[in-house]
Amino acid sequence: MTTTTVDVGAPAVVSVPEYPPMPRPVLIGRIAFGIVLSVVAVYTPFYFAPENNRIISQALFLAIAAMGLNLLTGFNGQVSIGHGAFFGIGAFTTAILMVDHGWPFEATIPIAGLIAGVIGLLVGFPALRVRGLYLALVTLGLAVLLPQVANKYIKGIGGRPLLKPRAKEFSSLLSGLDDDQWAYFVCLAMTVLLFFLAWNLVRSRTGRAMVACRDQELAASTLGINLAATKVGTFAISAAYAGIAGSLSVLVDHLADGTNPVLYFQRSIEFLVAMVIGGSATIFGPLVGAFLLVMLRRNTEDLVEGKEVLAPAVYGAALMLVVYVLPDGVVGGARRLFTRFGRPATGAPPSPFSPTPAVLDPDPDPNPDSQPDQSAPDPVTPANPEPGGS
Amino acid sequence: MTYSVRQMSKLRRWVPAFLVLVLLAASCSSRGDDDDTGGGGASDTGGDNAEGAIDTSNCPTDPTTEIDGDTIKLVSSYPQSGATAAFAQIGVGWQSYFEMVNADGGVDIAGKKYQLEWETKDDQYDSATTSTNIDELVGTEGDKAFAAFSVVGTANNLAIRDTLGDLCVPNLFAATGSPAWGNPDYPWTLGSTLPPYTIEAQGFVDLLKEQKPDAKVAMLIQDDDFGRAYEEGVQQAIEGTDIEVVKTESYQAGLQVDVSSQMTSLAASGANVFFNGATLLACPGALSAAAENNWQRDVTWVSGTCLSKTLMGLAGAAGDGVYSLNNIKDPQSPDWTDDEAMTSYKTEVEKYFAGTDTLNGIVAYGWTQAAALVKALEAADAPTRLAVMESVRNLDESDDTGLLLPGTGLTTKDPDDEFLGERVNLVQYAFSADGSHFERVGDVLDFEGETAEYTPEDLING
Repeated sequence: MTTTTVDVGAPAVVSVPEYPPMPRPVLIGRIAFGIVLSVVAVYTPFYFAPENNRIISQALFLAIAAMGLNLLTGFNGQVSIGHGAFFGIGAFTTAILMVDHGWPFEATIPIAGLIAGVIGLLVGFPALRVRGLYLALVTLGLAVLLPQVANKYIKGIGGRPLLKPRAKEFSSLLSGLDDDQWAYFVCLAMTVLLFFLAWNLVRSRTGRAMVACRDQELAASTLGINLAATKVGTFAISAAYAGIAGSLSVLVDHLADGTNPVLYFQRSIEFLVAMVIGGSATIFGPLVGAFLLVMLRRNTEDLVEGKEVLAPAVYGAALMLVVYVLPDGVVGGARRLFTRFGRPATGAPPSPFSPTPAVLDPDPDPNPDSQPDQSAPDPVTPANPEPGGS
Repeated sequence: MTYSVRQMSKLRRWVPAFLVLVLLAASCSSRGDDDDTGGGGASDTGGDNAEGAIDTSNCPTDPTTEIDGDTIKLVSSYPQSGATAAFAQIGVGWQSYFEMVNADGGVDIAGKKYQLEWETKDDQYDSATTSTNIDELVGTEGDKAFAAFSVVGTANNLAIRDTLGDLCVPNLFAATGSPAWGNPDYPWTLGSTLPPYTIEAQGFVDLLKEQKPDAKVAMLIQDDDFGRAYEEGVQQAIEGTDIEVVKTESYQAGLQVDVSSQMTSLAASGANVFFNGATLLACPGALSAAAENNWQRDVTWVSGTCLSKTLMGLAGAAGDGVYSLNNIKDPQSPDWTDDEAMTSYKTEVEKYFAGTDTLNGIVAYGWTQAAALVKALEAADAPTRLAVMESVRNLDESDDTGLLLPGTGLTTKDPDDEFLGERVNLVQYAFSADGSHFERVGDVLDFEGETAEYTPEDLING
């Protein structure tokens, strides 16, 4: 995954930086935090009821899709509000393979990612010609188109574009785990794997090329970065992430749905919201955002007894509040907090792996691909506006 | 890809975290083992107790377990809001009846009284939502409810059929006339009193044979199994007659309600008979569009799912004279002004859901489903899922159930008979400014036990 099609023209320009030695307390703090997080993650499915495990698993696959979008929008600056389409492609790939071809679920995950990635690649090429809001509109078309295509070509349950593998086909492969716990661990494993890959990717030359494309396209191309390859490659990887998330959604929800004409559009917006409230162009942002989003939605539903119609209003108000108070997302906000009180990044959970400690960080910046405009990042167009002349 | 030395050591920091993760996963899994053994034991007893027509050997929990406590929990998912809200009134009907039964002391099963309890969710007629709703309401182990009841829609019930069947949770009186509920592979699902769609198709063709033996028919159907039942049912029924289907148009199921382009095409087809197989808002929409297109035709038929006051009211004069089949008294009809069952229905619904339009036929439909269920529950040998399922599959209820039309009844007692609403009346809509209603035409048509005969094989078992 980290060795993409990107050709970073002049390696000397984006040379591997010299990292300053890490202070011991920071190292210990991070290890401790990692252990605590791992324990919580492993203990979670044994603590909660199956229904709650399902919600947590939903948050995990939402996080994967948001991470995919984050690679594209946060790090590469290409705005997509059509990632729901890739999510849907992944979901239908898995469901079709299971229902019509009898595949075991686990084997369909890479295929779902691959097919979504290939379609992402194809979409990525025309996306080279349009940017900003226009690209957003093109991708929006994808999300709206998918249910129509599904409706035309997929005749599932009841003649509708709905595919539903039987529940027992998702049963746990480990005798010690219940089905819901198994689903959780599959989602968790994929999340850890894909976040690890993303973390590696954005710290690599390719990652720096992605960020350079976002921040200064003209400069990046002057430095020899292959803009087209970087952009198309990022699009493909990002779509593959969404496809894998869609595949996992079949494991958790037990269906792939094309009956609702606006479902995948809603999904796209969810990914965007999760990325933005978590903190775009950060590694942990999508994860935090996905959990916040799922919890916000869940808890606003029953907040006003007997007035369920108010739930979306409360939910919307909460989202507005988050974005208003934390314009750079929860992770960005936490980073600012730690910068203000004490040593930056000391035990700051979300920040260690971010490539963008940036200007607010008083310490020497260990990472060259800082985001120049950290003080007021616009989540939708996280970078500087596109250079007009290019 | 090359890493500097510094980067490698950063990677290594993950190793302890990963080891801890693996160790914990190994130690925690013992809890799951205990659970699993418990589950395995229960399913064994299920196999031992298997008897009767329904195979219970694969049930995850024993369906002969008696209800714990004194309440029976029913769950349902049906459209309750937005453009699909017309069907929400079904719930008002059955909930009123259950409230009345509870107030009278409850349902008597094998000498013990049980209170009825229910929980419903809105699915806006979207089958994926129905599926998630029922998963949540019934629970992954099927332990959160006794049975599903009156779930609306063909595709919607098909979407929950596997899950409920695998869990051995009864899906009672699915509010759809699909012949698929006769599939012997799914003994835990049973349709409602709504006449099977293929019986409707047969009734339609029988009417044409009498009135218009050389009819040219144009059909509007929903783009799914609901529409397919009408289409194939009519095709089979016209075999050997001079009746011909000249044009069939379909519309996408869901929130789309505009069928005017389909209607323009049908009106231009030269057909002199219109079979309106649409439901919800598309049904009156089609009738109005036919009138706007000035389509001159001899016979118009509407789906049995369209007989609600809300829907026919929307069509207004455009609905005048349309035919359909029904087995439930139309509360709007003057025939039943002094009818005892009708008066009681109106009083009770008004008592529990003040402000409900009790003249709406769809409320009467819901009321009748509840009445039929209560009778079936009281006829069950024991308060168990299996006994109740066997009871609803051995119904022999007369026309004093709910608001059934005189001369009809509900019978499933024949082993090959899985359909309730097979004795029906031809009805015709009489529009007038002060009291439109469906009028009965002729005597009760008796299709008892004949649904399979009038239905292409693939509609039942497909």
